[in-house]
Amino acid sequence: MIPLGFFVAISAVLFCLGIYGVLIRRNVVGILISIELILNAANINLVAFNKYLGTPDGMGQIFALFVVAIAAAASVVGLVLVIAIYRNGKSIFADDYNLMKW
Amino acid sequence: MVKFAHLIPVFPFLAFLINIFFGRRLKGESALVAIFASAISFVLSAITFQGVLAGEGSYSLGHWLTIYGTPLNFGVTVDSLSVMMLLVVTIVGTLIQIYSVGYMHDDPRFPRYFAYISLFMTSMLGLVLADNFVMLFIFWEGVGLCSYLLISFWFERPAAAKAGLKAFIVTRIGDTGFLIGIFLLFFVGKTFYFADLTHVSGNEFLLTAAALLIFMGAVGKSAQFPLHVWLPDAMEGPTAVSALIHAATMVAAGVYLVARTFGLFVAFPLCLEVVAVIGGISALMAASIATVNNDIKRVLAYSTVSQLGLMMLGLGVGGYSAGTFHLMTHAFFKALLFLCAGSVIHAVHTQDIQKMGGLLSKMKITGITFILGTLALSGVPPFSGFWSKDEILLEAWNNGHPILFWLATLTSLLTAFYMARLIFLVLFGKPRSDMHAHESPKTMTVPLMILAVFAVFVGLIGSPVAHHAFQNFVKFEGHHVASEVSGGGWIVGLSTLVSLFGIGLAYLFYVQNNKILPVAFCARFTLIYKILLNKYYVDEIYDFLFVKPCLRFCDFLSRFDFAVIDCMVNSVADFTQGCSEIIRRVQTGLVQNYMLVQVWGLIIFILTVGKICFQF
Amino acid sequence: MTELIFYFIAVCTCVFAFLTVTARDIFHCAVWLAFCLLSVAGIYFYLDAEFVGVIQVLVYIGGIITLFIFAIKLTAHIDDKTILQTNKQVLPSALAAAVFFYLLFKVIGFDPWAKIQPDVQVISLKQLGESLMTTYALPFEFISLLLLAAMVGAIVIGKVKR
Repeated sequence: MIPLGFFVAISAVLFCLGIYGVLIRRNVVGILISIELILNAANINLVAFNKYLGTPDGMGQIFALFVVAIAAAASVVGLVLVIAIYRNGKSIFADDYNLMKW
Repeated sequence: MVKFAHLIPVFPFLAFLINIFFGRRLKGESALVAIFASAISFVLSAITFQGVLAGEGSYSLGHWLTIYGTPLNFGVTVDSLSVMMLLVVTIVGTLIQIYSVGYMHDDPRFPRYFAYISLFMTSMLGLVLADNFVMLFIFWEGVGLCSYLLISFWFERPAAAKAGLKAFIVTRIGDTGFLIGIFLLFFVGKTFYFADLTHVSGNEFLLTAAALLIFMGAVGKSAQFPLHVWLPDAMEGPTAVSALIHAATMVAAGVYLVARTFGLFVAFPLCLEVVAVIGGISALMAASIATVNNDIKRVLAYSTVSQLGLMMLGLGVGGYSAGTFHLMTHAFFKALLFLCAGSVIHAVHTQDIQKMGGLLSKMKITGITFILGTLALSGVPPFSGFWSKDEILLEAWNNGHPILFWLATLTSLLTAFYMARLIFLVLFGKPRSDMHAHESPKTMTVPLMILAVFAVFVGLIGSPVAHHAFQNFVKFEGHHVASEVSGGGWIVGLSTLVSLFGIGLAYLFYVQNNKILPVAFCARFTLIYKILLNKYYVDEIYDFLFVKPCLRFCDFLSRFDFAVIDCMVNSVADFTQGCSEIIRRVQTGLVQNYMLVQVWGLIIFILTVGKICFQF
Repeated sequence: MTELIFYFIAVCTCVFAFLTVTARDIFHCAVWLAFCLLSVAGIYFYLDAEFVGVIQVLVYIGGIITLFIFAIKLTAHIDDKTILQTNKQVLPSALAAAVFFYLLFKVIGFDPWAKIQPDVQVISLKQLGESLMTTYALPFEFISLLLLAAMVGAIVIGKVKR
C-alpha cells in the first residue's frame, strides 16, 4: 500500500507550486489560477486523511466538498472583480495597480 | 529711648511704597511724602542720639534663622558710629530731597524719582543699623540696587543706561568678595555679629583672607582702586543723586563697613596695611586725574574717590576716629559742592567748565556756597575739612607711616589745586561762551545755604574748641585721640601751608596767566597730560583684559549653541526624517510583495518555533 | 498494478501543476490547470472517494475552468504572448517555495503517521448523503447561502454602468 506520506507529499508539491505561482504571476487571472492549485492541494490532504484514518461519517470528503463549493464562489467573485478592474484601468497586470504606494 | 530705632528705616520705606503705587496720581505731592518721611526719620535719629548720649546701646528684634546651629537674629546696633551715620544720612538726605523738588521739576518721572530716593534712604538707614553681616549685606544690596536705578534714571540716554550697568557690575565684583568673606568668617570664626569681632579666634590665614575679602566689598562700594571705574561714569545720573549717593552716603558705606569690621582688622595688621595702601593709591591717583578734567561733575567725582581714599588711609593707619570724622565732614561739604554744581548745570545747561566763567556775578548764592564748600574741601582752617584732614595726617605720622603721610600731604596739595582751578574757571573771569545764567529757585538755594552752614561749622565738633568731642564720642576701645597727643603742631602748620599753596598755584595758572601757563604746561608735558586726561587708561585696560574676552567668550558660546546644540537637536529630527524616507519605500503598493514577505515570515516562524519546540 | 497507475497519475499532477505556473500564455495556463484538476480527480478515485472525484470534475473543470476561460478571453490583449508573465520577484519566490517545500517534507518525514496504513472501510454514497443531510445540514445550508451571495455579488459588480 502506498503510505499516507506520499499523498501528503503530493499535496505539498501542489501547495508550493501554487504559492510560487501566486507570487510571480503578473496576470491577475494567473494569480487566481494558482490559488485554485493551493485549494486543491488542501483537498487532496483532506481526502487522503479521510481514507487512512477512517472518519465515521466521511468527514474528510464532506469537508472536501465544501472546499470545492467555496473555491467556486471565490473564483466567481474574483473573476468578476478582475473584469471590473479591467474595465476601469484597462490593465490586467497586478504591477500596474500600486496606488497605495509611498 | 532707643528701642524704636528700627522704625527709622520704616518711614522712608512706606514713602517708597506710596510713591511707587500711587505716584502717578500724586504727581507733585509725591515729593512731600518722601520729604516728610525723611524728616520723621531725622527726628527719630535725633531722639536716638539723645538715647545714646544717655548711655543706651544695641538690642535684638527677634530670631530669624539658625545656621549650622548658630542662631541669627534681626538685631539693631545703636552705638556712637551708627547714630552719627544716622544723623548725617537723614540731614543730608532730607536737604537733597528738598533740592530735588526744584532740580527735577519738569521731569515726567518725578514721583518715581522720589520713590527710588526713599528706597535708598531705607536701605542706607537699615545698613547703618544692622548688627550682623547678613543683615548689612541685604541693605548693602539695596543701596546698590537704588544706585543702579537712579544712575540710569534717564535711561533713554544710552550713556546713562550703560553707566548704571557698569556701576552695578563693578560693585558686584566687590560684593562677591564681600559675600565670600562673610562665609569664610562664619566658617572660621563662627559668628556673623559685629560685636563678636574683637574676640574672634581661628585660623589666622583664613581670618586675614576673610577680612581682606570683606574689604573688597568696601573697595567696590567706595570706588577705590581698582574698582573705582564706575563712579565717574555714574555722573550720568541726576546731580542730586550724585550728591546723595555718590558723594555723601552710599560711597561712605564702604568706609562704614571698614569701621564696623575694625576689630577684625586690628587683630591682623596686614589688613590695615592693605586698607591704608589702597586708600593712598586711590587718593593720589584720583586727585591727579581731577587736575586736568574738564567736566565739572567728573572733577567732583574724582574728588570723592580721592577723599574716600583719604578716609581709608585714615582708618588703615589706625585712626578710627579720624577716618569717621572725615566721613562726616566730607558728607556735608561734598553734598554741598555737588548741589552747587547741579545749580550751575541747571542754569547754563552744560557740564564743560571750559565753556563757563564769570558766574559769580550772575548766581550769587550758588557762587558763595560753592566757594565755602571748596574752602572746606581744601582744608583751609577754620572750615570743617581742615580739622578732619588734620586728624588723618596726625594719625598717619604718629602711628609710623611716613610714606603714607607724605602721600596724603601731596594729595591735599592736589586737592586744593584742582578745587581752586574749578572755582576760578567756573565762577571768575569772563564768560567763555554764550550763556544766560540765572540764579536757581528757592527750593534749590535754601538747602545750599543750610549745607554751607554745616560745611563750615560741623568740623568744630572735633576741634580743640569743643575738646575733641567727636573723637571721644566715636572711638574704638583702647585707642586714644591723635590730636591730644602733643608734638603734632608742625603738621597742622604744614597742612595749612599746603592748602594755601595749592590755591595760590591755581590762582597763578588760571587767573593771572590764564592764557599762557596752562597751555604751555600741557605742551611741555604732553605725555603726562594725555595719561591724566585719559584717566590712566584704566577703563581701556579693563576693556582689553576683561570685557573684550568675556564678550568674545559669549559670542563663542552663542555660536556654539547655534552650531552644535541646535545642530544636535535638528539632526535628531533630520535623522528621524531620513529614516522614514528610507523605510517608507517598503510600501510598494504591490500586493505580491506583501505576500512574499508574509511567506518568508511564515517560514522563519516555523523554523524558530520548530527549533525551540520540536528539535527541528 | 494499481500502484503503478497511481504513480503515473501522481506524476501527471505534479507535471501539469508545474506547467500551470510556468506557462507563458495565460490560456495555456488555464488548460494545464484543467488537466491538473483532472489528475487530482484521478487521485480521488484511487482513494475510494468517487463522489468527490465526480464533483471535482463537474464543478471545477466544468464550471470553474470555463469561467476562467471566459475571463481570460474577456480581458485579453493582443500582445499577450510577448509580454513578460512573471514579475520581478521570481528568485525570492522560488526560494521561498523551495524552502517551504523542504520544511513540509521534513515534517512528513519524522512524524509516525506518515507511515500508517489505510483503513479498509469504504464510505458509500448513501452514507455520504445521509451525513450531509443530518450531521452537516447546517454547513450545507450555509454553503447554499454563500453561493447565492456570490452569485448576486458577481452580477452586481459585473454590471456595466450606463
